[in-house]
Amino acid sequence: MLQMQDLTKSYGDVKALDGCTFAVGPGQMLGFLGPNGSGKTTTMRAIFGLIRLDRGAVTLDGAPIGQNDRLAFGYMPEQRGLYPKMKAADQLAYLGALHGMEPAEARRAGMALLDDLGLADRAGDPVEELSFGNQQRVQLAAALVHDPKVLVLDEPFNGLDPIGAETMANVLRQRAEGGATVIFSSHQLDMVEDLCEEVAVINAGRIVMEGNVRDLKAASPHRVIEFESSNGYAAVLDELEGVISTSFDGHRHTLIVPSHLDVRQVLNRADGDSGIQHISYSTPSLSQLFKEAVA
Amino acid sequence: MKTSSTLKLVILRELRERGRSAAYIASTIITTVLILVAILLPTILGGSTGYSIGMVGAGNQEIVDLAIDIENADADAGEETEFSVVSYETVEAAEAALLDEEIDAALIGGSDIILRSASGASGDDLSDLLQYAASTLEIDRLVSTAGSDADVVDILAGEPLGLRTLEGVASEENQARTVIAYGGLMLMYIAVLSYGAWTLTGVTEEKSNRVVEVLLATVKPWQLLAGKVIGIGTLGLAQFVFTAVAALVTLRIAGTFDLPAFPTDSLMMLILWFLLGFAMYSLLFGAAGSLVSRMEDAQSASTPLTLVALVGFFMSFLVLDDPDGALAIAMTFVPLTAPFVVPVRFALDSISMVAIVGSVVVAIGFIIGATFLAGRVYAGGLLQFGSKLKWREALQSADV
Repeated sequence: MLQMQDLTKSYGDVKALDGCTFAVGPGQMLGFLGPNGSGKTTTMRAIFGLIRLDRGAVTLDGAPIGQNDRLAFGYMPEQRGLYPKMKAADQLAYLGALHGMEPAEARRAGMALLDDLGLADRAGDPVEELSFGNQQRVQLAAALVHDPKVLVLDEPFNGLDPIGAETMANVLRQRAEGGATVIFSSHQLDMVEDLCEEVAVINAGRIVMEGNVRDLKAASPHRVIEFESSNGYAAVLDELEGVISTSFDGHRHTLIVPSHLDVRQVLNRADGDSGIQHISYSTPSLSQLFKEAVA
Repeated sequence: MKTSSTLKLVILRELRERGRSAAYIASTIITTVLILVAILLPTILGGSTGYSIGMVGAGNQEIVDLAIDIENADADAGEETEFSVVSYETVEAAEAALLDEEIDAALIGGSDIILRSASGASGDDLSDLLQYAASTLEIDRLVSTAGSDADVVDILAGEPLGLRTLEGVASEENQARTVIAYGGLMLMYIAVLSYGAWTLTGVTEEKSNRVVEVLLATVKPWQLLAGKVIGIGTLGLAQFVFTAVAALVTLRIAGTFDLPAFPTDSLMMLILWFLLGFAMYSLLFGAAGSLVSRMEDAQSASTPLTLVALVGFFMSFLVLDDPDGALAIAMTFVPLTAPFVVPVRFALDSISMVAIVGSVVVAIGFIIGATFLAGRVYAGGLLQFGSKLKWREALQSADV
C-alpha cells in the first residue's frame, strides 16, 4: 500500500500541499484529479523524493521509502524528458540499468516494450527524429522498462490521439491487473471514469474527495435526469419544486435534483406539459462530482 | 542499487554518447590539425635553411668553402643551403654581430668557433658542419705529409676547433622545459575552458529537455554531477593526451624545435594539474549549468567562471617572466589560478616540493568543498524551471 500521509509543502507564501492524505493499493489504478496548480505534480515529486516536505511522509507498506524502493518505481513526469540525441533502445537500456537491471536484461526488456508499442523498427533512431506521438510512447516505455511495482504518471494522456490514448489505457490496465500500483493524473475525466475504479481529487493542496468511483457516485446527494422534449424548452421545469438546476442545449434537458426527490412526479409534470422522450435517470458523472468537489 | 554502479552507469553513458558524437570527434580532429599546422608552418614556409658565418683573421676561408661543399654535396640544383659569409676586423665586432643575431657562428683564425649559446638550434648544426670540415682538412694535410703516424680515427672523432659560447651553456633540457611551460599553459587554458563548457552545456541540456526529472527519481544529484564531470574529464584527458602526443611526434619529425631529452616530470605535472584544474572548474561549471533552464542562458551563467580563468591565464604570463616573484607564489595557493601557475613554475624549476604539495592539498581541499557546494546548487537548481536562478536561491532550495 502506497500511503500519502499529511503531505505539506510551501514555496514561500504559496501552499502547494496542505495536508494531502490518500492511499493506493497494489493492483489498483487511481485517477488523481485536480485543477491546474492544485498540487498533483508536487505530490508525485514527493513520491520520488524530489522535494523535501515540510511535514508528512510517503510510505510503502508502512515503511518510509528509500532509494532502493524507488528502483522499483516508474515515473513519467508531466514535462516529458529524454535525451534527444540518444537512440530509443539505448535510452531504455540506460534507464533500465539505472533501475538496477542487468544491462543485457534491460536492453531486452526495452526492445520488447518498443515492439509492444509498435516501435520496433525505430529502436535505433535518435528520439528527436521520432514524431511527437512516438516520443510519448518511448517516454511510457521508459517508465515501464524495469517492470515497476509502483507506476506514477503525470498527465499520460496529454497530447495523445484517440488511438494513442487507447494504447496507453490498455497498457496501464494490464500493469494494474498484473499487480502494480498505478497512479495517474488527468484532466480527461471521461477517460478516468472509464479506466479507474478509484479516484482522489485534490484542490488547493488537500484531498477533497477520495474513493471508489461507483460508491462516490452513489453517495452523491444529487441525481441527474435527462430527456428530450418534442416542443422546445419545457418552461414548466422552472416551477418544479426541488430541482436544483436545469439546462437545455436546444434539444436535450438536463436536470440536477436531490437524490431523494420523487422522479416520477417531475417526469409527469414535464411530460404533461411538453411530451418527453429518451429519458435517463442516473448518478452524476465523475465530471459533475469533480466540479462540485472543487467548487 | 550500489552507489558505485549508478555512478559507473552515468559515467559510461557520458563516455559512450559523447565519445562517439560527431562534435567530439570533430573537435579532436580540428584541435590536432590546428596544432600540427602551427608546428609545421615554419618548416613549410621556411624552405631551405641558410647559414650566416662571421670570420675574423686568416685561415678561415678554406674551412668555410669545404663546409659549403659538404653541406650541398647531395643537394639538387636550387635546393642548396645558402651561406653568407661576413668578415670582421676584430673578435669583439664578430661577437656583437653574433649577439644581434646577424650571424649564426663566428670562426676565429681557423682555430676557434664562437656560438651564441650551446643549444641554438641552427648554430649547433653549423658548428658540427664546421668541425667536420676542419677535421677533413686536417686529414688531408696528414695524408700529404708523408710518414705521419697520427691516428686518423682520433682526428675524426675529436673536435679540432675550439668552441665557446657567449651566453653560457643553456642546456637543451632547459629549453624543452620552457617550451613545455608555454605550451602547457596554453593547453591548460584551452582544456579547462572547453571541457568546462562541455560540462556546462551537458548539465543545461539535461535540465532543458527535462530528462533530469526522470533521472533524479533514481539517481542522486551528486551522482549525476560527479558522473558527468568524471566522464567528460576522461574524454577531455583522452583528447588532451592525443593532441599532445601528436604534437610531440610532429615536433620530432619536423625538427622545428630541438627536444632531445623530454622531461617527463614536467609532463606528469601538467597532467596532474590538468586533472585538478578540470575538476575544480567543471564542478563549478556544472553548478552554473543547473541554474538555467535554457541553452541560451548557459553562457551568461558561466561568465564569472570564464572571467576567473581568463584572469588566471593572463596573470600566469607575468609568472613566466618572474617565476619566483610574490605574484607567482600567491597564485600557487589560490585554487583557481594554481593550474595555470604551478606547472609553469615547475617547468622553470622555480618551485619547491613543499610548495607543490601545499598547492595540491589546497586544490584537493577546494575540490572537496566545490563538490559539496556544487552538489547543493545542482540539487537545488535542477528542478526549478523558468528564469535563471541565483546561486543563493539554488543553495537555499536544495531539497534532495
